[in-house]
Amino acid sequence: MDFVTMNILESSMVSLCKEMGIVLMKTSYSTIFNEALDFTCGLADMNGDMIAVADYCPAQIGGMPLLVKSCLKEIPIDEIEEGDVILHNDPYRGGLHTPEHTFFKPIFVDGEIMGFAVAIGHIAEVGGMAPGGFCGEATEIFQEGLRIPPVKIKKRGKDNIEVWKLLLANVRTPRVNYGDLRALIAAVDLGEKQMTQIYKKYGKEKIKETVNDLLLYSERRMRAELEAIPDGIYAFSDTIESDGIDAERTYTVAVEVHKRGGEIIVDYHGSSPQASGPINATLGVATSAAYNAVLHMTDPTIPRNSGCFRPIRVMAPPGTIVNVDFPAPEVGGNTETHPRIVGTILGAMAPAIPNRVMAAEGATHCNFVFGGVDADTGEYFACYDLEAVGWGGRAFADGNDGVDSINGNCRITPVEVYETRFPWRIESLAFNVDAGGAGEFRGGVGYSKQMLCLNDEIICSQMTDRHLLAPWGLNGGTEGGVGATLVMKNGREDWQTMREAYGKASTSRYSNVSIRRGDRVRLVTPGGGGYGEPAKRDPAAVAEDVREGYVSKAAAQKHYGYQEA
Amino acid sequence: MKFSLNGLYIESYTKCANCGVLIYEASAEDSARKKVHDGSIYCSQECVDWKLDRDARRAKAAV
Repeated sequence: MDFVTMNILESSMVSLCKEMGIVLMKTSYSTIFNEALDFTCGLADMNGDMIAVADYCPAQIGGMPLLVKSCLKEIPIDEIEEGDVILHNDPYRGGLHTPEHTFFKPIFVDGEIMGFAVAIGHIAEVGGMAPGGFCGEATEIFQEGLRIPPVKIKKRGKDNIEVWKLLLANVRTPRVNYGDLRALIAAVDLGEKQMTQIYKKYGKEKIKETVNDLLLYSERRMRAELEAIPDGIYAFSDTIESDGIDAERTYTVAVEVHKRGGEIIVDYHGSSPQASGPINATLGVATSAAYNAVLHMTDPTIPRNSGCFRPIRVMAPPGTIVNVDFPAPEVGGNTETHPRIVGTILGAMAPAIPNRVMAAEGATHCNFVFGGVDADTGEYFACYDLEAVGWGGRAFADGNDGVDSINGNCRITPVEVYETRFPWRIESLAFNVDAGGAGEFRGGVGYSKQMLCLNDEIICSQMTDRHLLAPWGLNGGTEGGVGATLVMKNGREDWQTMREAYGKASTSRYSNVSIRRGDRVRLVTPGGGGYGEPAKRDPAAVAEDVREGYVSKAAAQKHYGYQEA
Repeated sequence: MKFSLNGLYIESYTKCANCGVLIYEASAEDSARKKVHDGSIYCSQECVDWKLDRDARRAKAAV
């Protein structure tokens, strides 16, 4: 194993993946790409194994190998030609959820296919029953947008016009979608071009050998990490409060983590049957979430590639909320159920490795989506807006305040951009006081965003969670604060839930609410649970929290015995 | 997973009853590995064994 060459090659490939992401960010049209960075770029070998990836969206990083391998089962490698670009988003054949579009382009060197450049991105508007792709009341996949099996969107370097026409005829914002799809293609174009140069620089055989070594190296390091964790079967479960259809019914995410030497098996048997509403996760999500959890518990310097996933196996029973069967809805599985799975695995492993886990985080991306015809331009707009939450306290630090949930790694869209692109005025955006669970290390806080509607009508939908069931604390820490979505209709002075204002079944999952000019919407995001006994918290940290406004004096007195100096 | 004769659409999805992976009817590798146990389809003998172990462990825990 030539470590020097391996390190140089690994750094070069990761750097290339980052560059692919920058191209995507800079050339895309939607805020979900150019502000939130809800995408991932990577490189795969000819078997579909991920050989390098940039640190963008963890949900897509863990999902990439299954995605590419699934596509290659349908489009054999000998049918892929130089200049082809393959597109796919089908949740039932390796995909994550309908908005997640995967593009990959073969890398040919001297007429031989060596691997693929891959870009996965969340397209903000995908058709279906609600603008913005998150139909909180969907009961089947057909309401969630256009499903795309693996198809060639480019053939031998030329656009496959029929595919383009089909795609763009089925969405509300074809001009913007066209720009975003082009941005994803630009990313894989760059990946293919630069990786071809890397192959030419080092030679095909040297790269094959070195990549093989790299994957083995990651695998060995991951196995070494896992071997240091005590063997055992660790179980935990958590509850999802509703599926948007039956507001009274809850759903269980159950895990048994089998830790045996240098491998880990995550068994989801015991999880609830799949829901009628769109909280179901796909197999790709269940797999990606297990990888994500393990990556969070192990050495972050292990190179991210399929090698480090080899010691991890997943058992996701079909027909459950962790492995949805056709044609049940699934859009919230990738955003809501994924972080819930990760939290459940971290909760299971808490007795074994208390210093490497955290209390529950907000575990939602809030997924407030909307669309309408802009009164100024006459053009249809649509937005997938994600918001941040509080993370759980840890054994050595407070939880992060206002950070995207654990599988997103996305940024929130700046107020100025939001107001420029969409007919809302953001009247306030502020952290929630007392929203972090108390503990030796308190949970991070979520925030509240209050928006005034400036358009005649904006059609809004949402797919979020934690309005009723708070994020749990760990080892004596208390629960974090719950979230909420409230509306104040023009002319009224009281805030109402979506259930109260529009008769929706759920406060957190609903579709196609008509918000009118002068109406206000307030999004409250959940906080994280606390870690450790509150009585053990450093009094100086309590005083600082009070001074900075994270904790009220009353709460500080209640949880920590705070006395004002 | 079974495609229609013309290959244009999926007629049925077949998943391993234990680990949930798709089992492709057209895949020689998948066909060679798959097992049928108690009327359910599994991707491999390893998944049948895992299922039996889990059932035994949970039955013992229930007692």
